[in-house]
Amino acid sequence: MNEPVVLVVDDEKSLRDFVRRNLEARHYKVLTASNGLEALAAFNNENIDLVILDLMMPHLDGLETTRRIRETSKTPIIILTALGEESDKVQAFDMGADDYLTKPFGVGELMGRIKAVLRRARWLEPSSNEEQLVRGDIRVDMDRHLVTVKDSPVELTPTEFNLLVYLLKHAGRVLSHRVILQNVWGMEYGNEAEYLRVYIGRLRQKIESDALNPRHLFTEHGMGYRFEG
Amino acid sequence: MRRWLTFHRDLGLQLLAFYLLLIVPFLVTLLVFDRLVGERIRADVEANDIALARAIALETDISISNSLKTVEELSSYASVINIEEEKMGELFSVVLSTRPDVNLVYRLGADGIMLYHYPVGPSSTVGTDFSFRSYYQNALTSNIPLISEGRISPTTNQAVATAVMPIRSSSGEFLGLVGTNIKLESLSNTLSAIISEHANEEGFEILILDAGGQVIAHPDPSFLLRHANEILPDVYTQALEGNGGSIVEADLKNVERLYTYASIPSVDWGVVISRPTANAFATRIILQRITQVAMATFVLIGLAFWGILTWRVINPIEKLAPISEAIGLNQEIEQSQRTQIEKMSHRADQIGNLIRSILRMENSIAERMKEQATLLETSTAVVSSLDLSVVLDRILEQVGRLLNVQRIAIIALDEGHGEFRIRASRGLSQGFTEQLSIQPSEPSSVSMRALRVREPIQVSDTETDPSYKPQRARSRAEGYRAVLAVPLNTQHAPPTCLLVFHPTPHEFTNNEIQLLSSFANQATMAIENAILFERSDTRLQEQTRRLEALVQSMEDGLILSDLKGVIIYANRRVAELSRLSNEDMANIQVERVISRVLSNSIESTAKDEVRNILEGSNQKSEIALVVAGRPMHLRFETFDVTDARDMPIGRGVILHDITADRDLDRMKSNLISTVSHELRTPLAAIKGYASTLLAEDVEWDIKSQREFLTIISNETDRLTGLVNNLLDLSRIEAGSIKLSLEKCNIEETILRGAKRSRLESGNRFEVKMEADLPSLYADVPRLETVIRNLIENSVKYAGERASIQVKVNRQNDTIVFRVMDDGPGIPPEKSERIFERFYRLDDSLARVTSGAGLGLAICQGLVRAHQGEIWVEPMNAGACIAFSIPLNLYKASDDPL
Repeated sequence: MNEPVVLVVDDEKSLRDFVRRNLEARHYKVLTASNGLEALAAFNNENIDLVILDLMMPHLDGLETTRRIRETSKTPIIILTALGEESDKVQAFDMGADDYLTKPFGVGELMGRIKAVLRRARWLEPSSNEEQLVRGDIRVDMDRHLVTVKDSPVELTPTEFNLLVYLLKHAGRVLSHRVILQNVWGMEYGNEAEYLRVYIGRLRQKIESDALNPRHLFTEHGMGYRFEG
Repeated sequence: MRRWLTFHRDLGLQLLAFYLLLIVPFLVTLLVFDRLVGERIRADVEANDIALARAIALETDISISNSLKTVEELSSYASVINIEEEKMGELFSVVLSTRPDVNLVYRLGADGIMLYHYPVGPSSTVGTDFSFRSYYQNALTSNIPLISEGRISPTTNQAVATAVMPIRSSSGEFLGLVGTNIKLESLSNTLSAIISEHANEEGFEILILDAGGQVIAHPDPSFLLRHANEILPDVYTQALEGNGGSIVEADLKNVERLYTYASIPSVDWGVVISRPTANAFATRIILQRITQVAMATFVLIGLAFWGILTWRVINPIEKLAPISEAIGLNQEIEQSQRTQIEKMSHRADQIGNLIRSILRMENSIAERMKEQATLLETSTAVVSSLDLSVVLDRILEQVGRLLNVQRIAIIALDEGHGEFRIRASRGLSQGFTEQLSIQPSEPSSVSMRALRVREPIQVSDTETDPSYKPQRARSRAEGYRAVLAVPLNTQHAPPTCLLVFHPTPHEFTNNEIQLLSSFANQATMAIENAILFERSDTRLQEQTRRLEALVQSMEDGLILSDLKGVIIYANRRVAELSRLSNEDMANIQVERVISRVLSNSIESTAKDEVRNILEGSNQKSEIALVVAGRPMHLRFETFDVTDARDMPIGRGVILHDITADRDLDRMKSNLISTVSHELRTPLAAIKGYASTLLAEDVEWDIKSQREFLTIISNETDRLTGLVNNLLDLSRIEAGSIKLSLEKCNIEETILRGAKRSRLESGNRFEVKMEADLPSLYADVPRLETVIRNLIENSVKYAGERASIQVKVNRQNDTIVFRVMDDGPGIPPEKSERIFERFYRLDDSLARVTSGAGLGLAICQGLVRAHQGEIWVEPMNAGACIAFSIPLNLYKASDDPL
């Protein structure tokens, strides 16, 4: 596999340099941008595997940048934020971010998240797996990463796709937050229940005919979630 | 108890009791004395009689004993035994001569035949057989002398009793007897003598009875030898049985007598003395009579006294009591009662006086009541208004009515002019009322004098009263001859006096003056009330206006409604918010106004919420509106309006504009997130590089390591600066900032500030200094902070490639610093607010610029601490913030600030 290309976007030079230096030392190819506009330009011109994006930036902030990237691409995005507030995280996930890191963070944390996000993304790459997963009116073409509900295609981000596949494979079973997080996001995860809330919510919007009264994705209060075909 | 009460209430009974208390002991003593003395008198009388009876008995006894002794002696004479007639004659004659009570001595033979008797007498009974005689029979068996019962001697033909002695031979043979006849008449003579001693006692009787109950002796010879039961009740048997004593018995003629008896024991005879008790106890009876008369007299006197007392005193008093009570209670007195009382009032004594004085009192009370009623009526008329002019008019009217006068005036001190003028008048000419003015110090003025002494003063004739001389022209002109001035005792009103004029000389009576004085008190009260009311009314209106202004100028809307929800009052703010005029809002439902206010609401549920709070299910509600294109937050608060007794009388709604609060809240939360962001940014670099150095999977060369450590150090400085900024801000907030002034190299300070302000490589920076600037004293580090903050701001807002210029020049007594950039500039409408804490030009910019929003606020605080000014200078392009620092700071105060 080639060196993954990472786009690092932050208005603070010191932070940008810190991420860049570390990634380069670990053999990633790094592009940098100091604001959203620069980031979008770089994104459109290069083949980017991962975007690390600060939320608070002049001219075009992280949220808006995320939204615009998501309009055309499923490339994983990790958000950097100085705001530890839940609403910010939820907003970021809503815009299509895959993960986030709250400032300040250490190198270990940074590298762990990068690896996990890249791993999840890699599952989406075309594979020899030609399996078709069908549960009720939901059909997943594992090969082409295509999801249809009642024969109409549904657009999913890599993380959403992985989450759905995991749930489909374990249909009928109650899955705890930790189990889902570790299997879908990676072994580094386990306590980020709010990720799940956001992703499950977004999945429901996409696959349920009425997201408020789900017929497939059920919440098991205090335990986790359960999928029924 | 009841009787006791009655007794206490009845003077008659009390007097009677008192009388009895005096009289009864006296009467009891009298009775006891009567009884004791009576007993004593009776005992004396009885003892007297018994003594008399005993004396008679003794005397008779002696006489009888003598006779018996005589016959005993005779029986021993031989001549008598042997019946020798001659010698017996001699012997018997001696006996007769010595014994006047004996009228015959004789000798009976053994056979009872008379043998001899002396004196021989004309009718001799010699030879007559007397053996039938009881004394003969008794003598036959006896050896001792005997006495016979009373009888008529055939020989002497006189009533006698015979003493006999049997004569016996030595052998005891009965030889006959010798006897003497004792004249009963001689016994009776003794009694007669005694009776004659008691001649003054009518009905005094003495008699002697023999053993057979025959009367032996009696002053009246005709009673001799009659049997006692023919003349006495059965009282004598006791005497004959040998007893003595006395007894009170009725005699045969049924007259009560005291019988006293004694026995003559030697012959078993008895003496009986009797006399009518009326005589015997005459003293005692008299005494009893006296007692009875005395008692009767006392009872009669008592009754008479009580009767008179009742008739003359108690009855009138009893009649008077209810009448005086009725007078006291002001009730009508019945005609019959009145007639009686009037009749009684003619009496000359004290009762008459009392009645007359009560009647006089009644009259005077009635008169007083009438006066009071009039006064009350007039006073009521006067005080029934609070309008001063009406009050004055009524006072005049009522004075006229009370005193029956036509000309009256009220003069009062005109405080503006300092003189007394007529305030209101009646019946006086216009010229007089308008021109009259009296100086308070005028000595001769009646009204001034009255006011000074605080008592009514009258002039009964203006022409003759010398004290009125100076005023005489006035009285002549107006045509009055008498004047009465009554001062009103005012406290809150100016000094006032009531004047009454009479066209002719007139002496105002005490009663009139009294009446007018009383009325004046009421009038004073009425005037004071009216004046106080006028004042309080003015004050109240003023207060109301003030309150109204206050409520009208309130920033908050206020609506007051009645219990039905109809608007009673709404202030200007409500009118603005609802776009209704005050007239529109009158008498409409609160809900209508509120829904107009809410028509700009951006929340669809606002109306329901406000309905909830209006209906009382919720007390507060906050609603977001857009008014005139600007967002606005209103807080609706309802409250109950209650009266003094906590009873609800309506509802109030306050429309509180909390937009500013909300803005502040938002700014605060922005500040927190910006501060957080600002603090985390250097922290992120520090943590990042530190963890980079610690990471084990990558080896960094020495150069990189030093680079990382330098970054860590720089970022730490940045963090420290930020924290210092925050501290400065909090000091400025608390007003506790302290400057240490020193001489300042301006250019150096600016360059230092610029250096630390993280100018980007693209920025152009320039300092322009006016030549020959005087030396400036300032707190250098803080001045540097101000400059740094301003440059940082320029970088933030004008961008990485902006050119930034700092200009310094002298302006009057200050040094003015200007920090200019070629960025987007500051909109003029926001140039004031940017110095507020937490304020930033645009919230959306918050994400763009990483300033804490504190920079300008800190700058302002520090500049003001230097007694300087900071402001936004208008520019055609770009922004310019200027501040001034006074030059004379160090001179202004010897102590460094």
